Amino acid sequence: MTDTIVIGAGLSGLVSAIRLAQAGQDVTLLAQGLGGLQLSQGTVDVLGYASERVSRPFKTLAALIKTDPHHPYAAIGADNVKSGLTWLSQGLPGLLVGDPELNRCFPTAVGALRPTCLYQPSMAGGAALAGAEWAIVGPRQLKDFYPELCAANLSRSVLPDGGQIEARPYRIDLPARPGEADCSALTYARRLDQEDFRAQFAQAVAQTVGDAAAIGLPAMLGLNAGDGLEAWRDLERRLGRPVFEIALAPPSVPGLRLNQALTALAKASGVRMILGSQVIGLISQGWQVQGVILRQAGRDQRYDGSHFVYAPGGFESGALHLDSYGQLRETAFGLPLRGGEADDLITGDYWQDQALFKVGVGVDAAMRVIDEVGQPVYQNLHAAGGILAGASRWSEKSGEGIALGSAIAATDAILKGQ
Amino acid sequence: MRKLSADVVVIGGGSTGAGVVRDAAMRGHRAILLDRADLAQGTSGRFHGLLHSGGRYVVADPGSGAECASENAIVSRIQAHAVERTGGLFIVGPEDDPAFGDKFLAGAAEAKMPVEEITPAQALALEPRVNPGLKRAFRVQDGTIDGWQIVWSATASARQYGAQILPYTKVTAIQRADGAIQGVLALDLKTGEELAIECGFVLNCAGPWAGQVAQLAGCRPVEVVPGRGVMVAMSHRLVNMVINRCAKPADGDIIVPDHTVCIIGTTDVKVDDPDRLEIPRREVQQLLDAGESLVPGFRQARAVHAWAGARPLIKDDRVSSSDTRHMSRGMLIMDHQERDSLSGMLTIGGGKFTTYRLMAEHIVDAMEEKLGVNHPCRTAQEACPGQEDARTYQVTHRLAERQSNRLKDQTICECELLGRQQLVDLMAEFPHATLDDLRRQSRLGMGPCQGGFCSARAAGLAFAEGKVDIERATGLLRLFLVNRWIGLWPILHGDQVRQTALDDWILQGILDVDHLPDQTQEVV
Repeated sequence: MTDTIVIGAGLSGLVSAIRLAQAGQDVTLLAQGLGGLQLSQGTVDVLGYASERVSRPFKTLAALIKTDPHHPYAAIGADNVKSGLTWLSQGLPGLLVGDPELNRCFPTAVGALRPTCLYQPSMAGGAALAGAEWAIVGPRQLKDFYPELCAANLSRSVLPDGGQIEARPYRIDLPARPGEADCSALTYARRLDQEDFRAQFAQAVAQTVGDAAAIGLPAMLGLNAGDGLEAWRDLERRLGRPVFEIALAPPSVPGLRLNQALTALAKASGVRMILGSQVIGLISQGWQVQGVILRQAGRDQRYDGSHFVYAPGGFESGALHLDSYGQLRETAFGLPLRGGEADDLITGDYWQDQALFKVGVGVDAAMRVIDEVGQPVYQNLHAAGGILAGASRWSEKSGEGIALGSAIAATDAILKGQ
Repeated sequence: MRKLSADVVVIGGGSTGAGVVRDAAMRGHRAILLDRADLAQGTSGRFHGLLHSGGRYVVADPGSGAECASENAIVSRIQAHAVERTGGLFIVGPEDDPAFGDKFLAGAAEAKMPVEEITPAQALALEPRVNPGLKRAFRVQDGTIDGWQIVWSATASARQYGAQILPYTKVTAIQRADGAIQGVLALDLKTGEELAIECGFVLNCAGPWAGQVAQLAGCRPVEVVPGRGVMVAMSHRLVNMVINRCAKPADGDIIVPDHTVCIIGTTDVKVDDPDRLEIPRREVQQLLDAGESLVPGFRQARAVHAWAGARPLIKDDRVSSSDTRHMSRGMLIMDHQERDSLSGMLTIGGGKFTTYRLMAEHIVDAMEEKLGVNHPCRTAQEACPGQEDARTYQVTHRLAERQSNRLKDQTICECELLGRQQLVDLMAEFPHATLDDLRRQSRLGMGPCQGGFCSARAAGLAFAEGKVDIERATGLLRLFLVNRWIGLWPILHGDQVRQTALDDWILQGILDVDHLPDQTQEVV
C-alpha cells in the first residue's frame, strides 16, 4: 500500500508527489494525460490582474483574501503560496528567476504585456522597460507568431510607468525541417537543440535584425539540450546581445521544460508514475478514502493509499463537466461542487469572467474537500490546483500560485498528520 | 457623392436579391444590388442549409413540393459546387403515426417527387445512428447547400452580365416624384462614401427588413412578421443524409449534414425585430430533445454553435400572425402601384431558399410586365461561375486540397482545413472584410475550436500581409471572439465547455488578449 496517491500530473500534482516522496513517503502518481504545464506559458503567476494590473502580487493577494473569502487563496494563505514559489525555485535550480514580490510584464505573441513574477531565464530579457529597443523576429514557417502584430502592439502599449517600448518586426525564412511550410514551436525547439541548426538560425537572425539592442523570438529556443536552456544560451552568445522568448499558444516549449524537469525530479525522488489511465471512482469506509479505481486496459484496478491528493485540473481536463441539462458534476468521485448555484453561470459578454469557470471544490485549510456546511467529505482526501473553486485563473493570472500554494498546504497537512 | 445609373436597383443581398440581380442582368437590365451588410449575412446565411427534395411540403402543399423537387434538380446543375447530394430520409419514429407515411406517399406522387419507401432495416444500414425504433422510412433527394456559395456564385454571374454588387451599402432614401421611382441614395459603410443611383425600378428583396425599405419609399406600412428560427450545429456529422421526421412539420424535426458539422433545426417564434434575435436556452433544450428522438445519444454529442435566423414572412390575413409556420410559404409579390400609387417598385415576401431561382424568375417577370417588355429567363439553363467542372461538393474536398500541398502551405484553421494562401487571397480580394466576412467565405473558426487557435493567426496574417493597420487588426481579433461567443454561450455544455476552457486558457491566460491596447475606433 502506498502512503499517498496523487491524481494528476500538472503543476500541483507533480509538486505534491515530489514533496511527499522527498519527505520519505511512498508515493504513486496516477494521471490520465500529460498535465497542464505543456499548455501553460512556463512562468509562475501569483496574481496578474485584480481590478487593475497588479505590480506587487502578494500585497494585492492579501487584500484579495479579505474581500473574497471564496477565492482559493483565502483557504491556502499567502505563506503557503510563498513557500510553494520558494520550493519550486529551489527544486528546479536555474530554471526560474524573478522576484516573487514584484510582477514584471512580458510580451505575448499578439503583443500584449502579460504580468508575472517568476519566469525562465530565457524570458528575462523581455521584461518590459521604458525605452527598450527590441527586434521581434519570427520564422515565416511558424504560424502562431506574427512579429509584425507583436511588435506593433508592443510599440503602442503604455507601460505601468507611462513609458513605451520601441519594437520592430523582422522575418526570417528558415523551416525547422527542409521543405516544410508549417512547423510548430516544438519542431523548432527540437531542431534548435542541435548545434548545426542553431548556427544556421543565429546567422539568419543576425543578418536580418541589424544592430537591435535585444532580440525577442517565439518561445521555442530549445527543450532538451543540457538543462533545457542550453540552446537559448548559445543563441545569445552567437548573437552577442540579450535574446528572449515570447509566449505562444500551445504546445508550449517553456511549459514543457518545467514539465520535463519536474517529471525527472519526481522519478529521481522515487515517485511511481502510472500514466494514461483515468481514475473513475473511490472506495471509502466512513470518513476515510481507502483506495481509488483506475480504468486500465482490460480491467479496473484498485490502488489503495493512506492519503490522497486530488489534482486533476478543472473543466479543461474533463475533471469537471456540465451536461446538456445544465447539471454540474465532478466526474471521478462526484464530489460536492461550489459556485454552481449562480443564476448566470455563463453570460453573453465575452469579456466578462464566466462564473462557470470558477466552479470547483471547496477546501479547508488542509485542502481537504468540504461539503456545503464546511465539513471535510473525507478526512484524507485533499485537493489542489485547478479543481479548486473560486478563481478566474486565466484572466487574473493566478494558476501557478494556486497550484503551488495548494500543493504545499495539502502536503504539509499530510506530513503533519502522519 | 458618387453618381450611378441603373435600370433597376435590387435591395437586399440574400438569396432572393442575388437570384433577382442575376436574372435581371441576364435579361439585359442594368442592375445594381445593395445590401447594408455582407451578402447572405441575414436570413440566407442563417438557415440549416437544406436543399429541399419537396418532402417537407408534399402533404400540406403538394404544389410547393413540386416546385422544390424541380428547383432542387436545377440548382444542383447550375450551382453544383455549392450543393452536396447527400440524399435524405423521412423517418416515422416510434411515437409517430405510421398512417402519415401513406399521406406522404400520396403527396409525393401528386408533386411528382421521387421517393422510395425502404424498410427500417435498410434505413438503419444507411444511417446507423437514427432511432432504431423507427416504423417506416422513405428515401428522398434532399441535399445540402451552402447559402453563401449560392449567393456569391449567383452574384458573380450577375457581374459577368454587367451588374454591380455593392455589399455594406445601406440605402438611406428612395426617391420618388409624380408617383414614380426616381432613384436611390445609399451610404458605403466601409468607406463612408455617399452614392446617388438614378433608376426607374426598385425591387425590394430585403426579406425580414422589407418593411423598413418600403417605409423609405413612403409606402403604407408593410407588416413583416419575422419568425425566429434557432439552429444548433453539432461538431461532426452524426448522420450523412438529411434526416426528416415524417410527421406534421414541427420544431427541430430536421438534421442536416452540412460541411463538417450537422445542424438541427429549427424552432419558430414570432419576434418583432429581425435585428435582435435571441437564442433562448429553452429553445436550445427543445432542439436537443428533438435531436435525441431522431438520433438517440444526440445530447451526448458535442454542440459547437447556435444561431438564429428570421423567416422573411409578410403578414397574410388568412392566418393568425402568431403562428408563422402555417403562414403561406409561397412567395408574395406586393405591387406598390396598386397599393401606394407608386410605380416602379415591387416588394417580395416569403419564399424559401431552395426555390430562390424560381422566385427570382417570377419577380423579374413581374417587373418586365410593368415595363412592357418580355425577355426570356435563362437562369435555369446557364450555369453560374465557380462550378465549371459541374461536380457537386463533397465534404472531403478540402482534405484533398490540403493533402495535395500540405508541405507547401500552412494550415491556418485546422478544424476546417483552411490554408494560408486561400485566406491571404481572400484578404486581398476583400480588403475591408472583417474576420467574420472572411469566415463566411472560408469557414475560418467554424469548427470545434471556434477560433481558439485560428483567430490570432488570422489577425496576425491580416496585419503581416499589410491588409490592415494595427488598430484594425487587433480590433478584428476582438470582434471575431465576441461574435463567436454570441453563438457559443447559449449552447455551452459537455465537451464544448472543455474546449472553451482551453480557448480561454490560450487567449486570456497565455496571450492576454483582454489586455491588448484598446482599439481607438469600433471595427466594421
